[in-house]
Amino acid sequence: MRNCIQLDHVTFAYRPERPVLMDVSLTVEAGTFLSVVGPNGAGKSTLISLLAGLIRPQAGTIAIDGCDVDSYARRELACKVAMVRQEHVPTFGFSVIETVLMARIPHFSPWGFERQADRRIVADALEMTDTARFASRPLAGLSGGERQRVFIARALAQDTPILLLDEPTSFLDLHHQVGIYDLLRSVQRNKHRTVVAITHDINLAAQYCDQALLLQPAPEPPATGQRSRPAEAQERYTVGSTQQVFRRDEIERVFAIQVFSARVGTENVFLPLGKMAKDAGLGGSRPDHRDRSKPIENT
Amino acid sequence: MQSPLSPRTLLTRTLAAVALLLLVMVACSLVGTEPISLKAALIGPDQPASPNLDHEILLRVRVPRILLAAIVGAALAGAGVVFQAILRNPLADPYILGVSSGAGLGAMLAVISGIGWTVWGRSPIAIFAFVGALGTVWLVWTVGRITGRFHVTGLLLAGVVVNACFSAAIMFLTSIAKSQDVYATVFWLMGNMAEEDAFVLWASGGCVAAGLVSLFFVSAPLNAISFGQTDAQSMGIHVERVQFLALAVSSLITAVAVSLSGLIGFVGLIVPHAVRLVVGPDHRQLLPLSSILGAMFLVIADTIARRVIAPAQLPVGVITAMIGGPFFLMLLMRYNRKVCWLA
Repeated sequence: MRNCIQLDHVTFAYRPERPVLMDVSLTVEAGTFLSVVGPNGAGKSTLISLLAGLIRPQAGTIAIDGCDVDSYARRELACKVAMVRQEHVPTFGFSVIETVLMARIPHFSPWGFERQADRRIVADALEMTDTARFASRPLAGLSGGERQRVFIARALAQDTPILLLDEPTSFLDLHHQVGIYDLLRSVQRNKHRTVVAITHDINLAAQYCDQALLLQPAPEPPATGQRSRPAEAQERYTVGSTQQVFRRDEIERVFAIQVFSARVGTENVFLPLGKMAKDAGLGGSRPDHRDRSKPIENT
Repeated sequence: MQSPLSPRTLLTRTLAAVALLLLVMVACSLVGTEPISLKAALIGPDQPASPNLDHEILLRVRVPRILLAAIVGAALAGAGVVFQAILRNPLADPYILGVSSGAGLGAMLAVISGIGWTVWGRSPIAIFAFVGALGTVWLVWTVGRITGRFHVTGLLLAGVVVNACFSAAIMFLTSIAKSQDVYATVFWLMGNMAEEDAFVLWASGGCVAAGLVSLFFVSAPLNAISFGQTDAQSMGIHVERVQFLALAVSSLITAVAVSLSGLIGFVGLIVPHAVRLVVGPDHRQLLPLSSILGAMFLVIADTIARRVIAPAQLPVGVITAMIGGPFFLMLLMRYNRKVCWLA
């Protein structure tokens, strides 16, 4: 299958005793919009870095378009996968168009200048993200939402079938959050791109994505001296359609919170409720959550 | 779509800057303790009747020194651009990874040990400074690599720490050295120009020019790297390769500059900033224009240094800081609204 992503028993650990991703196997078909959801430290960004070829798994294989990620030269991989990191501002005052044009650097002429084809691709990317209006303005002078669109434009200008995004809406207001998701959805639909986006907003993910991947953080390793428990056979992730993955019991268990959920239209909406929330009584079916009450380590 | 930088624009601007540089060099060659006339000098060497003094002064004294200033200025400003891009730090300059203290320590050791031999006519100070500069950068690079997979912060910290240690060593040697040795080193540390012979000018000029040209070919990837290594890598750029090449070449031309003229401060810091304020941050343009402007700046500064308390001469490092600082502040205030380079 062309341009699909296949993970086969992928394990990755920053520290060997506590793997972040453990034996993950999944297939993302070409043209899918997949959201990656999970608590901090569950390995969402790690997964994106693995897909972008920035790090290598300790076990298992990651294939893009049928070939192992490792087998691609860096430039070839950059023609398959583009990445948008969490929002940041560069040190020097590059303008919008200069930033977007950088995506074409591997295709520049030997003298370091863009070709006609590069200009066309960049113009398309600016057009699609509605950033052409302020193409000559410096990045630092833009609002967070505008800046995020520019980085998406840069990823689009890489002209790749696969787009990876790490929390594209985390610093944005509701208007811009919806704007970014509309943009991603239209890119997926009209340009037939595969989109993989990390998000903390389950409701938006449910509304916009086809598939969801819910990751759980690794359990705390047993303290030294204690006898280690038998390895949990249970898989630490759930993948499937948004309706299959975003279920109240799953969300409550993985995030160790109580939620109120209701079916609205075709998808569920989730309202997280803490103990002190006004409507705390609406959430949760199980009164006792002591087993998951340990704070989850923030990584 | 309008290209932000077309080859034609870049070429026009570079040629205009080169023309301006030549003009400045000619003008500065006519300034000095002894008034000379260009017309008289151009007549040629010694007439049978009397030696052509104007010609002698121009060709033997002024021109070599102006060329030297241009070479050093171009090297320092060009290297400054690269260091700022790779370390993603506007405060970086060519000396930040320990070139200054390494060269200083080398020079101090050369003076104290009283070595008399020379290599290709270069004084022991120059040779020791060159070796000290490159050795220190190598040390910092190695330490920086050990701290993690090429981490910019690790590199910067290693540079700062090595600089501090070597500066302490310089101070220690200064305090135990004889006073005339101390004077020689301090004068060198302040940055100083002297008349050099043709071979030195050709060799160092060629080295710096080749370095700057090769840096131009990594200037487009440098744009991407200034957004961060991960970004550049995911855009398909061989980040480690570009970083290593750029750092090695810019350290080399800095070491050449330092061994020629001592530690001339400020050129490598403010010239890139000044050019960036005016033409923007694109390194394809920033690198050539900064080098040319750096050359121009140092030629002018050196002319002032040899004129202002004539017949005595000031160390040129004093002038670069004294005129460079206020000039830069002026630019900063003027352009700050137009280009916000720091969010």
